[in-house]
Amino acid sequence: MRDCLRFAPMIGAREGELEPAEARALEAHLASCPGCRAFAADTAATDGLVGEALLARANARDFAPFVDQVMARAGAGRARGGVLAWLSRHRRAAAATLVPALAALAFIVYVRLEGGGRNEIALLELASEGEVTMVLQTADGPVVLFGEEHGS
Amino acid sequence: MIRTSIAAAALVATLAGAAPAPAHAEVPVRVRVIKGARQGPASLDPRLEDLRRQLSPLAYLRWEQVDERSFDLALGKPVFVDLPGGDSVGVTLQERRGDTVTIEVALAARNTQSRLTVEKGQRIVHQVAPEKGGAAFFLTVTAWP
Repeated sequence: MRDCLRFAPMIGAREGELEPAEARALEAHLASCPGCRAFAADTAATDGLVGEALLARANARDFAPFVDQVMARAGAGRARGGVLAWLSRHRRAAAATLVPALAALAFIVYVRLEGGGRNEIALLELASEGEVTMVLQTADGPVVLFGEEHGS
Repeated sequence: MIRTSIAAAALVATLAGAAPAPAHAEVPVRVRVIKGARQGPASLDPRLEDLRRQLSPLAYLRWEQVDERSFDLALGKPVFVDLPGGDSVGVTLQERRGDTVTIEVALAARNTQSRLTVEKGQRIVHQVAPEKGGAAFFLTVTAWP
């Protein structure tokens, strides 16, 4: 029994874990102890089953949403800080950044209104059936010609 | 305080950007019917002097004004101009934005519509009849003459 207590921790050891002397002593004990031999047999039978079961469960689990969930949690953490919180902590820096940006925005709006939104309308649109139409764009305005009469 | 000011400035900028450009109901236009001829010595009707740079690249040498009308164009309402051959041309104000107008010139006889956008100071020159006997008729449209 005393030997059993000594050798029990060695039963099921991986290859190379035991010193050669320990391995030889364990073999000698197992040869003389039916209880430890039975225990070693059970351990050998179940060895690998646990690992395979864990691997099977891991394979069965869907890790696809794992990254999304992590990013969602990270995003939620950032949102709690928020832009407004940053602005309140760095008022001078925020003012130095936003004032030029707002000035640029106001300038863009001004130019857009002054420009009359020219880019939003087509400069030229022709619709004709069975006719060839030519257009000369000049600084003074467009000249629209029937194709066959265009000269020079 | 700063946050409130920033929000107010952003609101003002947004409202200013969304505000439509001021629009006026009518645009005064001057419409002329002119004739270009290939034959004869080169000449330009003095009344067409403002069109010289647009007419000079064309193959016609002799230019004379046949008719002239001035009227106010209302949005979407065509005004018809008679041509010497009996046809007529429809002139319609399609859009106005600031000093820019889009005008449609419709030739019913040729089933053709042209929408042309010009700025104040520019003129539309549009051929309105095919060449016959070495001469062709054109329509010119000037907004805010």
